[in-house]
Amino acid sequence: MSAFTASAVEIHESGDSAVRVVAVSEDPERNWETVHRLAGWLDTCDAEGLHGAVPTYDSVLVEFDPAAVSAKQLSAFVQLGLQQLDTGSPAGPRHFEVPVVYGGEFGPDLDDVAAQQGITADEVIALHSAKSYTIRCMGAPAGSPMMDGPDFPQPVPRLKDPRLSVPAGSIAVAGRQAVISPAVSPGGWCVIGRTPLTVLDLGRDPLVPYRPGDTLRFRRISQEEFDGYAGRYLEAQLPELQQPESQQMEAAR
Amino acid sequence: MNGRIVVEQPGNSVVTDLGRHRGPRFGLPVNGALDQFSARAANILAGNPDNAPLIEVTALDFRMRPDRDLLIAVTGSPLTLTVGGREQSQWEPVSVRAGEAVSIRGIHGGLRAYLAIHGSVDAPLLMGSCTPDTVIGFGLKLGEGTVLDIRRSVAPLRQPYLDLPLFRLGLQRPAMGPELLVDVTDGPDVAEFGESAGLLFEAGYTVSGRSNHIGLRLGGRLPERLSTAEVLSRGVPVGAVEVPNREELLVLHRGRGVTAGYPVLAVATSMGLDALAQARPGDVVRFRKTTVAEATQAYRAAMAQLDALRKTVTTVFTLLGVGGEPQWRELPPGIAI
Repeated sequence: MSAFTASAVEIHESGDSAVRVVAVSEDPERNWETVHRLAGWLDTCDAEGLHGAVPTYDSVLVEFDPAAVSAKQLSAFVQLGLQQLDTGSPAGPRHFEVPVVYGGEFGPDLDDVAAQQGITADEVIALHSAKSYTIRCMGAPAGSPMMDGPDFPQPVPRLKDPRLSVPAGSIAVAGRQAVISPAVSPGGWCVIGRTPLTVLDLGRDPLVPYRPGDTLRFRRISQEEFDGYAGRYLEAQLPELQQPESQQMEAAR
Repeated sequence: MNGRIVVEQPGNSVVTDLGRHRGPRFGLPVNGALDQFSARAANILAGNPDNAPLIEVTALDFRMRPDRDLLIAVTGSPLTLTVGGREQSQWEPVSVRAGEAVSIRGIHGGLRAYLAIHGSVDAPLLMGSCTPDTVIGFGLKLGEGTVLDIRRSVAPLRQPYLDLPLFRLGLQRPAMGPELLVDVTDGPDVAEFGESAGLLFEAGYTVSGRSNHIGLRLGGRLPERLSTAEVLSRGVPVGAVEVPNREELLVLHRGRGVTAGYPVLAVATSMGLDALAQARPGDVVRFRKTTVAEATQAYRAAMAQLDALRKTVTTVFTLLGVGGEPQWRELPPGIAI
């Protein structure tokens, strides 16, 4: 893996308690990695007055206590952090497999998405479960794993009337993005399926098992299988099941 | 068995603290007391750490009854505070005898009151904070008959000589009323609104009834975004002023979803957010432009006031035999009432 070089950033004032740091290179992947590595560095520092960092795609919101640190000091600290970012490869991603019942009451928008894309519902399912997704960031509400969406022909429009309540475990798509809803919440995304696994558990720390950078794949199951997973948690696959590609190739030889 | 407080009339009340600062990185809003200054002041006046769990009462009347002598303090919106039927002052430590009702009625001028109890109350924690999260369904919302466990009791405090008020605190109480002045700084996306950004400072905005801890909706003349390009989701600060539609301005408060894709026109200052926490539907909000440096200075001045208050309270409590670790009367476990 080639050494990592952080993107250049712009730091924007965002009130007296936050700054927005935006990575501005031409390469979205490098920008994403820059803001996530920076957030990781800030978390590790656990500096006095620093509340936390919220990284998404090309930006990270850094929140702080203005009684302890000023926006100016914080910005200088961020610049320092950028120079300190680990240039090696990040900790290996973990992999998650998510069983999903598609369509019907579990995925009420599946047929609409198919119609809108001009493909069949089975093709929507095939595309959605075809690729391995990288979790880009944690979204609202409540630790939703935000992912670059399936390879649909077109972006998926949001619902005209957002739902007041979407069940926990709902699998949804919108625009060019895909997500799992870990908790019951309102939602304007198209729900195409649901996983029987528990994703968010208030009794656990961390609340959700994945972090940005981890990978995730959806696997179609039948409606009859849904109840068989009841009470089970979404957990990372065991290490032996996620061999690096090189080893897989060796095994194939 | 510890001491207990029974909530007799919950109104709209929760047990909260200063917020879940570890939450946002996992997609959970920070939440916490919406009027942070009042919440800190209540805890300080009750001899607690600033971040101790306390009761936030929003708009509606509230009543509770303890089975032990307590020391409490009530801050926030103007209201009528009675203990055992006797009217008591806000923004002061108040003694409650076992069995007396503590009643908060007629919240007016502002919207939220804070009731701190010396020694605090037991509340479940998530990531180190008891503040409720309505999205994931966490937190202690108080209902009729809810029992709160307390760990400490304080015999009634009296000024030993002339029974004069215990404190001459000189604490400047936050201004409240139907006309609010809220300081904001330019948001990171102010340029996207061109000249229309200036509209924010020209006339008042009326607080809509659809406002809550997630955000306040305000009616008035709306700045308009010049471009319609989609924005990548990104973290939005508490206090973000956005124009999500043609009808209303949105000011995000502490319950805000952590990420969103709307451009941020302006950001309310920490002190401005405290003022907004007390805004009632129909109140008029005027925005005033400030700088981050000035806002930081204003915030630090307010915190310095609270520091001074903490010193005074510690001194007085120590003199009265309440202050200092050894003098707290810990209620031993295992003793029935």
